[in-house]
Amino acid sequence: MRTLAAFALSTAAIAWATPTMAEPLRIGIIESLSGSQTSTGRLYAAAVQYGVDLINANGGFNGEPIEVIEYDNAGGSTGAADKFRQAVADGVHIVFQGASSAVAGQITEDVRRHNIRNPGSEVMFINVGAEAMSLTGEQCHFYHFRYATTAPMRVNALVNAMAAAGELGTRVFSINQNYSWGQDMQAAIEAAAAAGGYEVVEAVLHDVNTIQDFAPFVARINAADPDTVITGNWSNDLLLLMKAASEAGLDVRFGTTFLDQPGNIANAGDTALGHYLANNYVPAAGDPAFAEAYAAAVGHVPVFVEPPTIFAVGALGLALADVDFAGGEIDVTEIAKALEGVTYESPVGPISVRAEDHQTIRPVVVSRVARGTQYPVDDTDLGFEPVSVVAGPDAIYPVQASCEMERPD
Amino acid sequence: MEFVVISTLNGVIYGLLLFMVSAGLTLIFGMMGVLNFAHASFYMLGAYVAYTLSGLFDFWVGLLVAPLVVAGVGILVERFMLRRVHAFGHAHELLLTFGLALIFEELIKLFYGDFPVNYQMPEALRFAAFTVFDTDYPFYRLFIGVVAVIMFAVLFVLLARTRIGIVVRAAERLPKMAESLGHNIPLVFMGVFGVGAALAGLAGAVAGAYFPTNPNMALELGVIVFVVVVVGGLGSLKGSLVASLMIGLFSSFSIGLDWSLAGLFDLVGLGAWAHSLGGLMTMTVSSISGTIPFLLMLIVLLVRPAGLMGDRN
Repeated sequence: MRTLAAFALSTAAIAWATPTMAEPLRIGIIESLSGSQTSTGRLYAAAVQYGVDLINANGGFNGEPIEVIEYDNAGGSTGAADKFRQAVADGVHIVFQGASSAVAGQITEDVRRHNIRNPGSEVMFINVGAEAMSLTGEQCHFYHFRYATTAPMRVNALVNAMAAAGELGTRVFSINQNYSWGQDMQAAIEAAAAAGGYEVVEAVLHDVNTIQDFAPFVARINAADPDTVITGNWSNDLLLLMKAASEAGLDVRFGTTFLDQPGNIANAGDTALGHYLANNYVPAAGDPAFAEAYAAAVGHVPVFVEPPTIFAVGALGLALADVDFAGGEIDVTEIAKALEGVTYESPVGPISVRAEDHQTIRPVVVSRVARGTQYPVDDTDLGFEPVSVVAGPDAIYPVQASCEMERPD
Repeated sequence: MEFVVISTLNGVIYGLLLFMVSAGLTLIFGMMGVLNFAHASFYMLGAYVAYTLSGLFDFWVGLLVAPLVVAGVGILVERFMLRRVHAFGHAHELLLTFGLALIFEELIKLFYGDFPVNYQMPEALRFAAFTVFDTDYPFYRLFIGVVAVIMFAVLFVLLARTRIGIVVRAAERLPKMAESLGHNIPLVFMGVFGVGAALAGLAGAVAGAYFPTNPNMALELGVIVFVVVVVGGLGSLKGSLVASLMIGLFSSFSIGLDWSLAGLFDLVGLGAWAHSLGGLMTMTVSSISGTIPFLLMLIVLLVRPAGLMGDRN
């Protein structure tokens, strides 16, 4: 008993003697760092780290460098829920995640509940890639920010640019993965039909990344005789679809959303030539200084999910510059309020947060696969050639009626 | 008609590819009683080795040498790992191969990166074999099918008609007796495991050039290959062939079908009501085509627990 008391006394003395340290801002990345989506999860983590390094090079925040902690959600929402609890225990203030809408749905719900139960020690969730509409719809809440496009933004931009280039045609085939993202894509493709002046000849949903053989789907596309195939497929589902289509000699244009995933162009080869992509950024669009700076630091120009993630951390950096806790306790609510007012100048245009649902209003870049572009990808001679950059206000869609956001006082 | 012909062609070829991978798995199980979870990893290894060799030499060298390299890896695994745990029973073998599958996946990521590699078929093979109903049919798909058929023929003759086959079957049925007759049973097992691995390696080398070669390919095909083996009957080569073709055809046909439960109600005039319910009612067969093999497995397990051509029916 006496030793225990002595121990307590001595620790108290140590705590007294140490000068009070400023509380560092802790960012937790809850990503797929093992399993089948490792490649994408790694890119998110690398991009967050790059963005935070930039802020830290300018003095960090609250008198301390910002700490980045990586958590491996093993690709699933169960793992994510587990890692979120650990992140909270580690004192994380802001969670970053992007690789899956299912995981984001779990995290945003966990964040919402945590904040209700723990007023005064809120956690914020910056979503850098999960595009399910419900995240800014029925699941929306004040502490979730989406720094990514959504299906209607991508589809509207894609359809407009392809129509302007005279490559859309009047018959569109919609093929998508059967989960929230694919269903959102299909709804967006059907909704844009009138404005784009086309008819959706057929809309197909299929299982996610389990199908090895897309030849039967190509047979179906062929039978429907479309001019353009629009798909939100990613990873294997996109590659296999494009390869099967080209092998069957199908003469259609593809409008895609994830063709820039590393490895796709190398694998598809000349098959990909002339296909379209709608995404957040390609290096050949806008001011090249951003791409060059990233290439100098990391060794390759920013691709796929890296640019939107860096933009998000950049916006967070601006928000942090607007708040000052004078080395004291960090109030996440203040940071969230500041982030709402921030406009981040990305190389392709300004990105700002819409206060009603915390969806970002952001430019969408439409590009086409071409030979001999300025920034070839995957060690091939192919690259993405920008066709048009749709400004944020033109790309955005109305706030979903299902979003009822409660603001803190 | 067009739908039937094209779906059949696609289904048969995909089925033959499944057979190529599952043949080795069923061989190893049938002859050694080892349920090899790492089998699909040998398939992946085959694709990556062939990719490496095709970069250094050419496609054909990769195709021929990759199975040998994978066989070598398989033999090492059998000799230095499986043999040690064999005495402890199936659970230990299962856990060992499961661990190996994870290690292979991470090793591939370590050496080749997380992204798909650019393993392509040679330009000489990239042409349309024929045209059916305005659709080109790629020659390479036929090539995959032909390789699978040759593989089946060679395996079948080897096991059923040659002296080697007799020894292997004897080693499986009555190992003690075969051993006392002067046959080296551990060597036979090692050989069988090596051949099984080589078959997967060959499948990887052939299919990797057509489907993307990436670190997930073992995971993606691994599950379906187990379904094939279970449906066909563990250890039955013919069963595997039948099950592969069935799964290939079912998957292919289901994709073209827009049937749903609501469609059934259309027949009795309740269609509009069923469509308005949505959800399960309007889910089309094509959107769940990936689930069909598992449904098939469920039915087969209920009706014939040992599989279509399993020994213990």
